[in-house]
Amino acid sequence: MKMKKNLFGQSSDFLQNNLVPIMFIIICIICYPLAGFSPSYLLNEIVTRMGRNIFLILSLLIPIMAGMGLNFGMTLGAMAGQIALIFVTDWQIWGIPGVVLAMLLSIPFSVLLGMMCGKLMNMAKGREMILGYMMNYFVGGLYQLVVLFIMGPIIPIKHASIRLPRGYGIRTTVNLTSLRQCLDNEFAILYKGVKIPVLTFIIIGALCLFILWFRRTKLGQDMRAVGQDMEVARAAGIKVERTRIIAIIMSTVFAGFGQIIYLQNIGNFPTCTAHTQIGMFCIAALLVGGASVEKASIGNVFLGVILFHTMFILAPRAGAAITGDAMIGEYFRVFVSYGVITLALIMYETKKRRAKSQGGQLLAQAQREGGVRS
Amino acid sequence: MKKRQLLMQLAALAVCIALGAVMMIIGRGHTVYLDNKTLEDYQGQTYKAAHKIVVTVDGKELTKLGPRERGMSPCIGQSFKMSLEITQEKGGEPETRVIQLDLPYGMDGIIVNLPALLAGLPEEAWMSEFIPAPEPEEPDEEVPGEGDEFDIGGDLGLDDGLDIGGEM
Repeated sequence: MKMKKNLFGQSSDFLQNNLVPIMFIIICIICYPLAGFSPSYLLNEIVTRMGRNIFLILSLLIPIMAGMGLNFGMTLGAMAGQIALIFVTDWQIWGIPGVVLAMLLSIPFSVLLGMMCGKLMNMAKGREMILGYMMNYFVGGLYQLVVLFIMGPIIPIKHASIRLPRGYGIRTTVNLTSLRQCLDNEFAILYKGVKIPVLTFIIIGALCLFILWFRRTKLGQDMRAVGQDMEVARAAGIKVERTRIIAIIMSTVFAGFGQIIYLQNIGNFPTCTAHTQIGMFCIAALLVGGASVEKASIGNVFLGVILFHTMFILAPRAGAAITGDAMIGEYFRVFVSYGVITLALIMYETKKRRAKSQGGQLLAQAQREGGVRS
Repeated sequence: MKKRQLLMQLAALAVCIALGAVMMIIGRGHTVYLDNKTLEDYQGQTYKAAHKIVVTVDGKELTKLGPRERGMSPCIGQSFKMSLEITQEKGGEPETRVIQLDLPYGMDGIIVNLPALLAGLPEEAWMSEFIPAPEPEEPDEEVPGEGDEFDIGGDLGLDDGLDIGGEM
């Protein structure tokens, strides 16, 4: 009887902990036959989107490790990446050297923005996510000022192909033809209609190894300690504020690299809006993979990208098959991506409160028992 | 310890700058335009266009150029290597030549006049910069953030300024 109860309890815990991925697996299983895609087409799309998105999502892991939650401020890194890409396009640096140069150029911008974000987050401990989210709008305005007014008269932009006809500012779309899929096509393998971007996966693999190695370093251990309990970490001599700033800077730099990898795959980007949804979709994908606000792993990133993007591919066609209108599927996927973030935040808050009340109850019980004894 | 850390940081910065400089050189993109066009009156001489030139770049046939025809090839880096199969006259024997050009860093588009190049003339005779024709006047692109967000238009209903009526 006890064994049965344990099994029931275990499966209930498993369901509770993996509710979101299970829900997505079910949605994908239902949508797949309705969409009517061939397995090779679907696999090709998933592999392409994995190469495009995983690096960006991996950039979210370090702030979670440091207890700063989901870094909505990763968008700042994306903006840094875009500024670097504008320069590289203007200077006509093509191919892989162009991507490498863009990554190098994005570092100072990302570090600066990350430092600012980290310092502000230290002033608003416990409210990092909403602060990061609002920072997007604030820095987004600054970014628009730079690309629409400062680029041209103050920062020289030579090429008419990216400059607005009025003589200053960057055009609404920047064409990255000279960089398009240069990473994805290098050493690419075509297997039964599925293109595997080997170099992109090698870069992603390198970042995964870096994250695994970093967790074991002194700084990585410090971040984990800060993530578990800031006061205990401070008492142990860890510079909490500095560690948190480093976590955000690292995340912003990786997000900048990730945005460059993402945009070289797409081949162009809308200057003022390319970064706006990146944070939201990356966070949604990570949560779909079973991560939470306080715990995430590399496995969650991979599972999340596969499930979230499988739904992205299948939902419009399945929507069209069911209702005759592809937009229904589109609405559905938007609803699900934002819904999953909401659900994760509610679950996190509920768990936190439950743990707090359980702690309180245990304390009260201990006090009562202590009172009876005395 | 701090000195060592500073040195490490400076070394990392130097590596990044050096890597960036190398990328700027090896990644500089150019578009090379190859013209099979008669060069007239260069120092009193005329260099006639060949009957047919087959241009091969990186082992792939890029284009076949007849007289007054132009081919185009993108090129990354500062050097451009091509193989030319030249047939001077109709029915004549083709002659193959491999040519490597050093491209100037500052030019995006470079026009190479093949008859002048093949005649061994100095660089200014066969190389010139491609300057794209000025674009026709385009209507201004819509710039985000301009105008009111709610698309009310005009002066947001403040026709009369902030006059609230009455006399002061």
